[in-house]
Amino acid sequence: MSTRALMRKLEDFEGPRLVPLGGDLYGASFFLMKLLPARFMLERATERGLLRPGGTVCESSSGTFGLALAMLAVQHGYKLILVSDWALDRHLHRRLIELGAEVTIVDRPALTGGLQQARLDRLQEYLQEASGSFWPSQYYNSDNPLSYGKVAEQFVDRLGKVDCLVGPVGSGGSMSGTSRYLRTLFPDLYAIGVDTPNSVLFGQPSGKLNLSGLGGNILPTNVDHSQFDEVHWLVPAEAFHATHDLHRKHGLFMGPTSGAAYRVAQWWSRNNPGKTVVALFPDEGHRYAETVYDEKWLEKITGWSELPKASPLAVGTPRAPMSGWSRFAWGRRSFDDVLGQAND
Amino acid sequence: MPIGAGYAEAIGHHGELVQGLFEDDGVQMRRALVSLPCRQLRSKVRFTPNSSDQLIVMPASREKAKRAAELTVNAFGRPGTGANLEIDSNIPLSRGMGSSTADVLASILAVLDWLGIEAASHDVMQIAVSAETACDSTLFRQQAVLFAHRDGVVMEAFRRPLPPIDFISIDTTPGATVDTLEFATARYDQLEIESFRPLRGLLRTAIKSADARMLGRVATASARINERFLPKPRLAEIETIGVRFDAIGIQVAHSGTVVGLMFDAMDQKASENIKRATAALKQSGFEPAVFRH
Ligand SMILES: Cc1ncc(COP(=O)(O)O)c(C=O)c1O
Repeated sequence: MSTRALMRKLEDFEGPRLVPLGGDLYGASFFLMKLLPARFMLERATERGLLRPGGTVCESSSGTFGLALAMLAVQHGYKLILVSDWALDRHLHRRLIELGAEVTIVDRPALTGGLQQARLDRLQEYLQEASGSFWPSQYYNSDNPLSYGKVAEQFVDRLGKVDCLVGPVGSGGSMSGTSRYLRTLFPDLYAIGVDTPNSVLFGQPSGKLNLSGLGGNILPTNVDHSQFDEVHWLVPAEAFHATHDLHRKHGLFMGPTSGAAYRVAQWWSRNNPGKTVVALFPDEGHRYAETVYDEKWLEKITGWSELPKASPLAVGTPRAPMSGWSRFAWGRRSFDDVLGQAND
Repeated sequence: MPIGAGYAEAIGHHGELVQGLFEDDGVQMRRALVSLPCRQLRSKVRFTPNSSDQLIVMPASREKAKRAAELTVNAFGRPGTGANLEIDSNIPLSRGMGSSTADVLASILAVLDWLGIEAASHDVMQIAVSAETACDSTLFRQQAVLFAHRDGVVMEAFRRPLPPIDFISIDTTPGATVDTLEFATARYDQLEIESFRPLRGLLRTAIKSADARMLGRVATASARINERFLPKPRLAEIETIGVRFDAIGIQVAHSGTVVGLMFDAMDQKASENIKRATAALKQSGFEPAVFRH
């Protein structure tokens, strides 16, 4: 037996609700998925003496991870400094401030790595200033993927065997971690990652990203490429259409990365009847009321007025230019294995 | 002077279906297991009081059983009662098959039988753990339990018994012995600790839906995680033979040398598969023995 510093006051919000979506497809609908890795990382940091009671947590985030940290910081008495950029939604910004977080906005991109790198640079300054402060570092901290054993437990507890897992990839923690845990029981699990064009995560040339939570311009170590059987890329308009479908057809008011996972999972499920499929839906739709759920805002999105594609285009290399939904048979290979071949 | 005698039996097991580190309701981490009970392996104990003030155990080497009987007498009867404690067991010793625990449990139950007392299983477990520092879950027959073997407490009681499993027993190191308590306890890393969560989830589902196949997956996963702490020679070969004959999984004695190739007892083809797998194992130089649920 060991004594551990526990931060479980919000534990009931950590797990997903499992919603049947027709056939053998289930949506794992989270209130805020990032609460689980955030809590796990903080607990582990206290265990290792990296975070002391009342200490300071610094992180770079403009999304759900920052919100999860802010909620935990309030509940468990930590100080939080968040480095963010213009993409931070103004409502979320207000909410973070109300939660007592110190929020810094970076507005000039770094020469390489864009705004994401500029945020990390600023974060380093804070970490040096505030001695004894802890950086969870969700993109590089292996405790992020490690935290998902609990989610895998919930899936097998409810569904027994899971044949296919589909989810959006940002830091890579949720998909890499959950797939790995499920494979201790079901080695044949088929894992599908959902990314977006211009994201470097699975080999697209770096470019401007317009879908927060999906993809990135820096490759995080928490993306374990060897876990993925297949990768899909959706452009924002496609993800948004799917997000509306998920709401209209199933009553689930979720964020756009959930929509992206839903679109891919539904397609795979239709082509593989009898297989139990779970799609990860990482957050709810409220944060997107003025964007993804606003018709006026949507009208300005490239491709919004077009009829969405019913199936993806198979690409021969992840480097291919992509104008819409694409897929690639990744085959659980490493990044270098795949891109070495792509370069030939 | 008390007269008469007490009698009880306890069964051994064929190692575990699962063994690992699990979080309890109070978010405390505890080592726990689910034994694979084996009704053919039994310890039969007769407790016969006499007018002496000595408790004599036969065979004399069964010190822990003697200690358990004494603890039980002290807790429920008159301390200092003299008696003979005769143990007749067919459970192989020091192979991680629960011989010592079965002796201890049967001894406790034999004393209680003589006293005409029915004690709560929790109290029996507490005495067993004090007598032998660890215990297994074979006492629980009507429902499967995840049992904290070092604390003597049930971490999770499942609503049903384990689904029926037939298995082929293979001793991977005949001759060698592992002292259950001397062997260094497994030091699981964080990935392993977190992996026990989905194992526990599937264990729950497998028992709830009486699905032996799912249970086989849980056992196999537990065997693999624990392999680095007490490796079983030629485990991969045994697994390969299992796959050829539709075994549902492998399970191991986490503190012993035996490996079980598991079959779904409800499957019509199980008997035939067991026969053919046994032949294949013999051909590979193993000495298999079949146990039916
Ligand atoms: C809304 C949303 N969806 C999906 C993801 C991707 O999850 P992961 O970081 O585990 O890959 C994130 C990550 O920040 C997110 O905020």
